[in-house]
Order: sequence, then structure tokens, then C-alpha cells
Amino acid sequence: MTEKPIKMPNYGRPRWTLSRYHRYGWFFISFAVLVLALFMLYPIISSLIMSTYSSRGMIQRFVGLGNYQRLLKDRVFLQALKNTLIFFIVQVPIMLLLALLIATLLNNKDIKFRGLFRTGIFLPAVTSLVTYSTLFKMMFSLEGLVNKFLLNIKLISTPIPWLVDPFWAKITVMIAMTWRWTGYNMIFYLSGLQNIPDELYEAAKIDGANAYQQFARITVPLLKPIILFTAITSTIGTLQLFDEPTNFASGGVTAATIGPGNSLLTIAVYIYNLCFKYMPNFGYAATIAYVIVIIVAILSFVQFKLAGERR
Amino acid sequence: MKRLLSLVLVGLLCVSILGTVGIAAEKKGKLTIWAWDPNFNIPVMAEAKARYQKLNPKVEIEIVEMAKADVEQRLNTVLASGAREGLPDIVLIEDYNAQKYLQAYPGAFVDLTKAINFKEFAAYKTELMTLNRKIYGVPFDSGVSALFYRRDILAEAGYKPEDLYNITWDQLIEIGKKVKAKTGKALLGFDPADGGLIRIMMQSTGEWYFDEQGNPKIVNNEAIREAFKIYKKLMDSGIIKQTSGWNEWVASFNNGDSAAVITGCWIIGSIKAEKSQSGLWGVAPTPRLNLKNSVNYSNLGGSSWYITARSRNRQVAEDFMKTTFAADRDFYQKILVGQGALGSYLPAQDGPAFTEPDPFFGGQKVFADLAAWMREIPPVNYGLFTYEADSALMAVMPDYIAGRIDLDTALQRAAVQLENQIAF
Repeated sequence: MTEKPIKMPNYGRPRWTLSRYHRYGWFFISFAVLVLALFMLYPIISSLIMSTYSSRGMIQRFVGLGNYQRLLKDRVFLQALKNTLIFFIVQVPIMLLLALLIATLLNNKDIKFRGLFRTGIFLPAVTSLVTYSTLFKMMFSLEGLVNKFLLNIKLISTPIPWLVDPFWAKITVMIAMTWRWTGYNMIFYLSGLQNIPDELYEAAKIDGANAYQQFARITVPLLKPIILFTAITSTIGTLQLFDEPTNFASGGVTAATIGPGNSLLTIAVYIYNLCFKYMPNFGYAATIAYVIVIIVAILSFVQFKLAGERR
Repeated sequence: MKRLLSLVLVGLLCVSILGTVGIAAEKKGKLTIWAWDPNFNIPVMAEAKARYQKLNPKVEIEIVEMAKADVEQRLNTVLASGAREGLPDIVLIEDYNAQKYLQAYPGAFVDLTKAINFKEFAAYKTELMTLNRKIYGVPFDSGVSALFYRRDILAEAGYKPEDLYNITWDQLIEIGKKVKAKTGKALLGFDPADGGLIRIMMQSTGEWYFDEQGNPKIVNNEAIREAFKIYKKLMDSGIIKQTSGWNEWVASFNNGDSAAVITGCWIIGSIKAEKSQSGLWGVAPTPRLNLKNSVNYSNLGGSSWYITARSRNRQVAEDFMKTTFAADRDFYQKILVGQGALGSYLPAQDGPAFTEPDPFFGGQKVFADLAAWMREIPPVNYGLFTYEADSALMAVMPDYIAGRIDLDTALQRAAVQLENQIAF
């Protein structure tokens, strides 16, 4: 590594300085590498090893790939996976589309009080996850604000069982998540939109393009990298969904399931339960964590391909 | 130099000998205690601390308050990592989880079989902390269950307190229908996602989710089958006010929408929180199942204290628990009045606080009744997987209640899920 330096442009210095130059380089990054190895690489490898053990607290048993086989038969895991994917497939597109629409609207220079609206829509993103989950839970209770409002405007005749019915419980959490995260994604789109030159729209207008055509042919293609970014962060966020289901399900008299019939159980919550609520099986929990990693990797890859990103 | 060293050593030796002699006479050291619930366990422990420090002023006691989930999370993490630091000397563990900790972390808790006279505690409490004939904890509060009811509403429907004694759940549902017809009130606030009532029903028969060998017993468990049927009957009968979560449930009886509540005695604090209902409440024994082995006495919840084996002040910790929770009768009167904490220490139960009539409950000697019922609770070994089983059953409950699946399918599904969940 030292004697034969990689062919680099020689800036007129003798050879030995170059290799010393390299040595300094390695020295300076060695701290970062060390910390990275200690706090990233070691846990990654250690949890991979852990996933080949099944454990009951301190008592451990080597099972090889047994945990991975067990996953396929584990109905709770499959239900958690299904719930998580439903959140992902339904909620993420709605939220991103909404964020894009709002961003486009608020980018219009003719709108008054733009700053006020932008702040208002972004504000949910700074609230604490626990606080907003608890508030939504109160609002959506059987006799809560939402049901009272809907009953008063005669939209429904009997209260909607928001948190009691498995189907409605999912809807409630999706509504809450959309409220919380739309503004956050909107900010990225807004900053992207500001980089699109006005001349493009002007030219399009002269060519007779209507608002939808401008949106579909100019805005969306030029925002593609940002859409990709928000899609991937939202995917990861949804697959790691923990706070909302936990808080919506908490405060039960004994809270046996996460939401009615486990309808809010996500993979992340299941991992937590396996470690701390049930008989602690850290090995099996590590296995599931690896499954999340694999799923995120696959989904991100697919999104890259769909977006046609070359880099 | 050498002489100086030896002098110092001899000096140290003397001090340490004196120290050990000193401990025999006077305890010192620091105890750390983890517990949850600032309205219940924490003030109870604070009372015990004050009493003990009066006798042993040199013992320092730090009570650390955390959420229950946090206590469990920290306990699990430290124990599983095998770290020698970071554990408290005394920790509160929920009874349903006791065996899980005792068996998953062998040797982590101090065997107290000889240190404490367990005959003085309710039998069902010592049973759940026994492993291989060794007893590991100090029993604390009882969750003896009861039927708490509104005297006025039931009287309006034509029922006297005696009518509520020695009844079955089916009889209770009939009573509820009459209450609904006469007064328009629901009988119970009921959360169909809460498995607490199943556990009350099960323990009233001396059964649990598991057989003696610890294997799941779900599909052929008569108590569970009955319990499921009663959940459905309750939902279909129209005598309940459906709630979701603790707050709505408590509100259902605090604001007078429902006429009764069946749960552990720790609910008394929440019932009494509604002062306008003073004098209107009464307490009757728990309804029983329509099974031969079912009795009118059961339990929901409750927890106990455990001393960790790595505690630096193990002797002090043992002495602390022995002189307070396993001896001080007066202490139990104080926490009963203060926190409504019904201890499972039997000698304390003829004390003044237990035998006093309670005006809130229309002059009924509530705690004397509850203490008497507590002695009759069938002992049950909760096993290792109560929460896994609870979750497996409640996961199929909505489909069963809605009539989408029949009882056998529901229980079979739950059994398969549980089997997989507890695989090792």
C-alpha cells in the first residue's frame, strides 16, 4: 500500500511525499473509521450472528437458519408484515401526491399569505410523535370530536367505531400519519419547485399547455430526484413505523393486542414486543430486523429503477 | 516503609472487622428500588422507606420511578447483557411476568424461601413466585376481583345487594338486561379488545392458558371456551357500553353511564375519584362461570417485590423487606387508607383499616370483604407466556364476536399462533 502509490497526477513533488501524503490521509480518517466500525459494523455483524440463535432471556440455543424458517410460519409476523405493507401501499402515495399538490399550489406567486399557509401545513411536522398520536386518539374516540362533528353535520347517523374496529383503526392511523408528514414532504417539493426556472412554464403557456399538462410534463419530471428521495425516506419511515401504533394502542385496560385484533401491529412494534413485552427472544427479533433491512433494500431498488435514476 | 504499610493494613483490617460488627448491630448502605405508578407503588414504597429509616437511619434508599414498560425494558436489557452494573437492589415485577423473569434469568433473583415466613401471605401469591420449590419474591398487592355496583341503579331495577351474591355470569347478563330496560343504563363499560375478563374468569376455575407442564391449553380449555361465549353474549346482549382504552372505561362508570364494573380491587381509587357518587356504590363477589370448578373469587393483576442477586447490599435489602412488607402490620393499615393498596400479608388484615366501614360504599366493610375473598382465590401458576397467550386470544376475538368464525376455528387459530410464538 505504501511503496507503489496509485497513479496520481504528480504535482511536481518527489515520490516519497506522495506516499506520506497518503499515510496522513489514512491517519486522519482512521478515527472516523474506528468509530464507524465500533458503532456500525460491529452491531451489524453481531446482530447477524445473534439472528442464528433462539433465546429465552439468558438461555440461548444455536438454531442456524431456524429463525428464518420460523418466520414463514409465524402468523403474527405475517400479519405485522401485511399491516405494514398496507400502510406503505395506501398511505405513502396519498401523502406524497397531496404534498406535491399543496407544494405546487403554494408555489404560485399570486396566492396571498403564502408564508402563513406554508408554515401552517409544515407545523404538524414539528409536533412530538407521542403528543400528536395521543391527541388523535382522543379526537377519534367513540364520543370524540370527530364523531360529534360528523353527527352534527348529519353526515353519519351512528358514530364510526374509529378505534374499535380493525378496519377503521387502520384508517385512523393513516389519517393521523398523513396530517403529520404531508407538510414535511411538502417542504422538499417546495424547495425543488423553486429551482425550476419560470421560463419553462412561460414557454409552455405560449405553446398552449394547460395547467395539468404543465404539472405532468414540467413539474413532475424536473422534481423526479426529489420525488425519489421523499419516496425512499417515506418507505423507510413506514417500514419502521412504531410510535403511532404503539400510542394508539396504549392505555388499554391491559392492552393485549396492538389495536383491535392486532390491526395496528407493525413489524417494528413486533420486534419491540419480542424483546421486552414477551419472553425476551433477542435472536428472533434480530432476524426480523434483518428482514426489514432486506425489504427496504428491495423497495428502494425498485423505486430507483422506476424513477429511471442512472446514478 | 514496610512497617508503615503493615500498620496501614492492620488498621484497615481493624476497621473492616469493626465494620462487620457494626453491620450486625446497625445496617448501612444504599438501596436502589425500581417501581412504577406514582399514585400507588411509589408512595407505598416511600412509606416503607420512611418507616425503615426511622429504625436504620444510616441506610440510604433511593426509589426510582419509571413507567412499567421502562422497568421491564431496562430489566430485560441489563439481565440479558449479563452486565454486573445497572440493576437496582429491589425491583417490582408484575405477577403475570414473574415466572418469565425467574426462568429466563436463572440466578438473577434472591431465593427468599428461608428468609421470609410465606405462610403469612395469601397462598395464590406465593404460588406464582415459586420455582423448583424455592420462593423468590415478597408478595405485595392483591388484585382480588369483585363486582363493584351502583346501589341506586340496581335498586331502581328491583335488585337488592344479596341478589348479586353467588351468581353466574349468565345470571349477571339477565340482571343487566333488566337494568337496561328499567333505567336505560348499561350494566358494564366493556372493551372487547381487553383480555382482563378472560383472566378473571379463568382464574375463578383454577385454570390458566397452560397445563401443569406449561404446555398451551387453549382449544380444550373449558374455562376459555366459556369465557369466549360470555364475551360474545356481553356484546350481543346490549347491556354494555363499548369503550376503547382505560380512560373511556373509567369514564363509563365515573359519569354514571354504566351501573357496575368487574375488575381487580385496585380500581377503588378510580371509583372514589368521582366524589359525587359517594354512598352509592357497593361491592359483591365476582360472578362465576357455569362450570363445576368455578368459584366466585378471582384475581386480576397485582405485583410483587424481588431482590436482585447481584445487589451489593443484599442483607440490607432482605432486612428492609422483612421488617416492612413481611412484618409491619401498621404499615399495611397506612397504605390501605392512603393508596387503597390491599396487601396480601394476612396478619395485617384484622387491623383497624381493614375492619372499618366505608361511607363511600354505603357503610360496607369493603376491605374486610375483599380480604376474605382474597383468601379463596384459586392458586394458579401463571407460567411463562401469559402475555403471548393473551395476545393470541385477543387477536381472534374481533372475528369471533363479529360471527365471522366459530369458536373452534377461533381457538384453533389462537392455539397455532401461540404455539409458534413460544417456540424456542
